[in-house]
Amino acid sequence: MQETLDRLIREVLHEDPQVWAGSWVVYAAALLAVGFGLTVFGALVAGLTSWWERRIAARMQSRIGPNRVGPQGTLQFLADALKLIVKEDLVPPESDQMLFRIAPYFVMTGFALTFVVLPFGYHLSATRMNVGLFYLIAVTALVVVGIMLSGWASNSKWALFGGMRAAAQVVSYEIPGGMLALVPILMAGSLDLHEIIRAQGGFPWDWFVFQTPWGFIAFFLFFATQLAEGNRTPFDLPEAESELVAGYMTEYSGIRFGYYFLAEWGNLWVMSAVISTLFLGGWQVPFVSAETLAGWEAAGTVPVAFYGVSTAVFVTKVVVLMNVIIWVRWTLPRIRVDQMMSVCWKYLVPIGMGLVLLAALTEVLSFQLFGDAAKGPAPLGTPRGALHLAFFAVAGAVPTVLFFRKIFRNIRLTGDRIDLTNW
Amino acid sequence: MPVSQYLANIKDTVQSAWEGMTVTFSYLFRRPMTVQYAGPEKAREKHELVQDTLPSRYRGFLEVDLAICTACNACERACPINVIAIEIEKDPANPKLRVMTRFDIDEGKCMFCGLCVEPCPTGSIQHTREFEGTQRTLSNMVLRFVDPAKPAPPYKVAKGATAFPRAVLGSITRPLVKAWDSPPPPLPIESAEEAMAHAAKKAH
Amino acid sequence: MALDQIFITRKFGPNAEQEMILNMGPQHPSTHGVLNFIVHADGEVMEKAVPEVGYLHRSLEKIGEMVSYAGFMPYSDRVDYLAAMFANEGWALAVEKLLGLEVPPRGQYLRAISCELNRIASHLIALGSTAMDIGAVTPFPYALRERESINDLIEALCGARLTYNYHRIGGVAYDVPPDWTPLCRAWLDHFEKVLDEFDRLISTNEIFLKRLAGLAVIPAAMAIDYGLSGPNLRASGVDFDLRKAHPYGAYPDFQFKAPIGRAYAGLSRGGKVGDCYDRYYCRVLECRESATIVRQALDKLPDGDFINPKAPKKAKPPAGETQSRVESVRGEMAYYVVSDGSERAYRLRVRTGSFTAMGIIEEVSKGLMIADLVALIASLDVVAPEIDR
Repeated sequence: MQETLDRLIREVLHEDPQVWAGSWVVYAAALLAVGFGLTVFGALVAGLTSWWERRIAARMQSRIGPNRVGPQGTLQFLADALKLIVKEDLVPPESDQMLFRIAPYFVMTGFALTFVVLPFGYHLSATRMNVGLFYLIAVTALVVVGIMLSGWASNSKWALFGGMRAAAQVVSYEIPGGMLALVPILMAGSLDLHEIIRAQGGFPWDWFVFQTPWGFIAFFLFFATQLAEGNRTPFDLPEAESELVAGYMTEYSGIRFGYYFLAEWGNLWVMSAVISTLFLGGWQVPFVSAETLAGWEAAGTVPVAFYGVSTAVFVTKVVVLMNVIIWVRWTLPRIRVDQMMSVCWKYLVPIGMGLVLLAALTEVLSFQLFGDAAKGPAPLGTPRGALHLAFFAVAGAVPTVLFFRKIFRNIRLTGDRIDLTNW
Repeated sequence: MPVSQYLANIKDTVQSAWEGMTVTFSYLFRRPMTVQYAGPEKAREKHELVQDTLPSRYRGFLEVDLAICTACNACERACPINVIAIEIEKDPANPKLRVMTRFDIDEGKCMFCGLCVEPCPTGSIQHTREFEGTQRTLSNMVLRFVDPAKPAPPYKVAKGATAFPRAVLGSITRPLVKAWDSPPPPLPIESAEEAMAHAAKKAH
Repeated sequence: MALDQIFITRKFGPNAEQEMILNMGPQHPSTHGVLNFIVHADGEVMEKAVPEVGYLHRSLEKIGEMVSYAGFMPYSDRVDYLAAMFANEGWALAVEKLLGLEVPPRGQYLRAISCELNRIASHLIALGSTAMDIGAVTPFPYALRERESINDLIEALCGARLTYNYHRIGGVAYDVPPDWTPLCRAWLDHFEKVLDEFDRLISTNEIFLKRLAGLAVIPAAMAIDYGLSGPNLRASGVDFDLRKAHPYGAYPDFQFKAPIGRAYAGLSRGGKVGDCYDRYYCRVLECRESATIVRQALDKLPDGDFINPKAPKKAKPPAGETQSRVESVRGEMAYYVVSDGSERAYRLRVRTGSFTAMGIIEEVSKGLMIADLVALIASLDVVAPEIDR
């Protein structure tokens, strides 16, 4: 970030910050500003997602959903937040007072720290770390510390159950999660999130998910592990409402309760951003090939519009993925604790291992076959590009068509009809 | 676990999740079952609309048309929970006649079972389609159909009459339902003897 | 020993110090009203779950001895608020037996129609809440949506959506309203399609199947020993349905099946006869059967009185005792009435299916997980007021 800032100052102010006396003040102020902006962004995203999830869930359940506060209910989350802030912050007298109070901040910190490396668009991220993905996996583990603390400190059996379940679940699913993340890492050859994106292309067949069958399977399994780490249905055991009342946050109230929800909905963005970075081409814009981009960069003439367009592409992908996560939540039942473990250790881990091996083999084979052309997105004319397109047609296009046909069949079967008048 | 079973598990999970997800997704394209209920700001004007959707047999607030009430007490006797209170006294103007000085229905206690409607000989007591009567004070739920200043004389049923001129259903109860924040009625202050006498009279 | 330790030992048994005692309910989201279970747990695995009843006791039986025979009818609604028609019918049958009163055929048919519609409505709640307790929220609104349509139909029929008070001693309170029959038929057509969709959404879902298959198996002998009845008994493979075994009302006129458990979850998933999935799926099948019963009843609906014109205004049966049994949604509902010749019952006793279902939980819950207890309660479909009355 320091370099970007230096370059910005040199280009805009035509001065060299290196010779300033108190340049660290500028850096610190910029750091604070970016940190503040990202946290606010996270909170806003979490709030808007909470409203959007409720609307979508309502639609899927043949209801209307919150539509009173603000236009179409968009300000509902502000009303909810206000209510939570005004509410009494109850601390059970028999709880471990200090741990009980700080536990939500662990969760919040773990959530906010992920924004340090998350990309938002071309060249847009707080920092560019060459071990970005590694960092991401490391800081998300902080969330589970907060959850365990709250489970323990509440001195409630329900909360304890929730905390222990969360610990078991998140720690277990880190393993297949990390393993499945290896598949795109192998394909990209980097841990840097921006490098992983740049190894893919703008068109769907250039994405890692549609390049090889291994990437395709790994995408879905990685999606599942992300659901598990974000405590979303069907892996929402730590807060399973019908079993554990509210799991680890049973005893919380007021804004401390709100922090958990903020982190949970904000995590939707984090999960979706990670998945779209690893598998769905991130901010890659169609029709802007890697060569064009490299040409712009070499000449120093990256158009400003490209920053905007790439951000829009990325945000669109993230929002679509968030909707998919919401959609899964309102469809599937919850699995049991022992099933959660068996899914992890009997299915995800061995399959993930196999996928990593297969992906590595494919990379080696690909280098043998195509040489240097095996890296990065392939143009359609090349044999590798044709292969990717064929796989995309089989794995991407056909299921989409089938999906929509099935949906209209479902509507017809119940004697209903398409009606969007009340949206 | 045999390999075939392992693969079958994966296939079943994927297939059934796919099935379920197409069902929930298809609801995004359908009209929701629920309808928008009028908010507090529109409650008054939409009130009539909601009532129009109710069937004619709907058991809402009770209503008595005193113009055709014969003061037979059948409804009071039929009520399992003593919601209806009727008091009949001699007419001070003409001691040969009786008048109803009280006909109270405690809607706050009523369970809307409809047992009082059935024995009514003239159809004077009926369920209306009124249902919105939220009150801040529970005692405001008591609907007083007789104005103590104007006791109501009983209706004389003409020989062989089968139809009775009943007021429009709801037109009597609706004005009686108070605004939700109206002040509670004053408590009846009666001496101990009066209360005893009252109770003794009730017991008979 | 400290006083609280004595209390704990008295209340929870001598092992209370070694095992985790979890008070599940009465304010727990999935205890269906106000049930309380004292769960003796070792981590997630339960040693047993002891049901504590009485949180919804409203002394309905005693009230039945205080009000007139006709006046108890609205109270019987409150015995089982999800299946009020059956409680109505049971009470009406009992008093009719005491009085020696006949119900005209049209009244009997209307009773059957209203009861079977109510059975569907109640089963829909059971199915939806089973799904919700397993964690799938969406099937619940779908089930409730269909139930609302039934409520609309019943509201048009008798004026109330929950506490119907429709049956009367000697028949029913109202005839079918005009234009009601086509509406009912149209809804039945729609309902069968929606039930198919419900099956696609949740009944065939692999996670759902895996959660319920082979869970809390109640063998036939055990079900009989504990006095289970209704769908819970039939799911254990015992073909006993009061509508067939001791037909009453208009039921002998109808062709229908009483679905029994056949390990519907599939043997490969560990399904056994009498597991939670069988109890769930028997209810799905019963919904379809009830729909056919309603159709047949609408087709054959005879003309005539819907209430016996000789029904007394004030029932005053001769001294004696009697018992009526109806196949309610949650099993056999029986009214035992003793009359001393006055206007009020001398003694009234209600036997309900939920109470016996509740009794079996302690036995069946041994070795299950806490998440399974929730599924078990949901699959037994217990309703709190019916347990405590």
